[in-house]
Amino acid sequence: MLKMRLRPEEIAALNLRELYEEHNYLFFRMSRFEEYDFYAGKKDFLTSKSILTFTDINGKLMALRPDVTLSIIKHAKNSDGIQKFYYDEKVYRVHKNSNSFREISQTGIECIGNLTDENINEVVELAILSLRTLAEGRKYILDISHAGMIAELLNESENRNEILKLLSEKNIHGLKNINAPEKIIELAKIQGNNDIENLKCFEPIIKTLRKYKNEINIDFSNINNLNYYNGIIFRGYIEGIPESILSGGEYDNLMRLMGNKNSKAIGFAVYLDEVRK
Amino acid sequence: MINIALPKGRLGEKVYKLFAASGYEFPEILDNNRKLIFENQELNLRCFWVKPFDVPVYVERGAADIGAAGKDILLERNPDVYELLDLKTGFCRMAVAAKNDFVDDPEKVLRVATEFPNISQNYYSSLGREIDIITLRGSLELAPVLGLSDVIVDIVETGTTLKQNNLKVLNFITDLSARLIANKSAYKFKSEKINEIIRRLNP
Repeated sequence: MLKMRLRPEEIAALNLRELYEEHNYLFFRMSRFEEYDFYAGKKDFLTSKSILTFTDINGKLMALRPDVTLSIIKHAKNSDGIQKFYYDEKVYRVHKNSNSFREISQTGIECIGNLTDENINEVVELAILSLRTLAEGRKYILDISHAGMIAELLNESENRNEILKLLSEKNIHGLKNINAPEKIIELAKIQGNNDIENLKCFEPIIKTLRKYKNEINIDFSNINNLNYYNGIIFRGYIEGIPESILSGGEYDNLMRLMGNKNSKAIGFAVYLDEVRK
Repeated sequence: MINIALPKGRLGEKVYKLFAASGYEFPEILDNNRKLIFENQELNLRCFWVKPFDVPVYVERGAADIGAAGKDILLERNPDVYELLDLKTGFCRMAVAAKNDFVDDPEKVLRVATEFPNISQNYYSSLGREIDIITLRGSLELAPVLGLSDVIVDIVETGTTLKQNNLKVLNFITDLSARLIANKSAYKFKSEKINEIIRRLNP
């Protein structure tokens, strides 16, 4: 009865929470704001550089949370083991097209600590299962890429930003025009699932890639934020929804910045507002 | 069904001819009528004319799966789409032009009239030059003649219009042509059909 009164994106969020509970992820609830200083040094890790701020009663500058991951890492207890969290929260970001702040619903998981390949595989599998849950019979696909591999190939290039932009557009004629390295052009051409066995960077998750062969698409035009991600990155699409609705990857760099030198991390977020459109 | 957004006007007609020559024909499309949407049921394609400047919007937001847009418009709007093919038609260049007797004073803020404020800003930022942008919607050549601006940033095809108004090209910013763009999500699910279109357009 209750479910009947819920909006589609609320039902979707509940279905996802059920999925993450089944896999022993713990629900993580957090405050909607943090001290502004917390974000100031970490802007490279934020999708939108603008942060909505206000002054607290004691004069401290506060920020409405633009991102969940940073807060989870901050508040998670420093422990040696593996911690698995899921969340269902709002974040506040500048929307690309409207030039004003928006409240965005975000559900997702983070897996941090002494991760093994087993954990990485589980998160990629959960990303696929999340898409399956949301797709409700429609086709869906998880684009998989590797930030470390792209960064390594770009190290030698001077016009790094230009190459990255063209790669993200699958702009092969543009890459050829600026004489981009041949290896980058090869990377830009890869699509589908024929290459999963040949790409060394995907070895740790080969088990999952084989299992879900028809639901994945190797695609290095998926670059996302190379400051944030250092390993596997992925992005999920559902047929009929014009924007990606799931995005995530391995972000050990962020753990290092937050002082957890030996920790690894992987996670993803689902943008439920896109489901409803 | 693949939805195709074509830019209304001269460039769009050139692009349509490429489509037609590759076997993608839409009856009635070149007739002088007011219809906006055309279907080829046999090939399961639908195509529509939109304002050239709007093509990236239709594609980015998924109303069209693919579209043809001038590189000038892509550079100006910077949409989040795939750029899959240079259609090698509608060649022209983005250029800076000024009156024949114009002498630049690097200490002054340069007044730039243009239909492409983002392209202009990016170009002059890369040179470290401070500019004052005057956004206009056409008849750019008037601006320097009337003293509204020092220079213009505009598309130059043959240069005849510039010459007739006693203007000259100072610098070329970039080469332009029509490009085939695709919605990122649509390309995931219709890549086979879209790749087939690309193969046929790109002999």
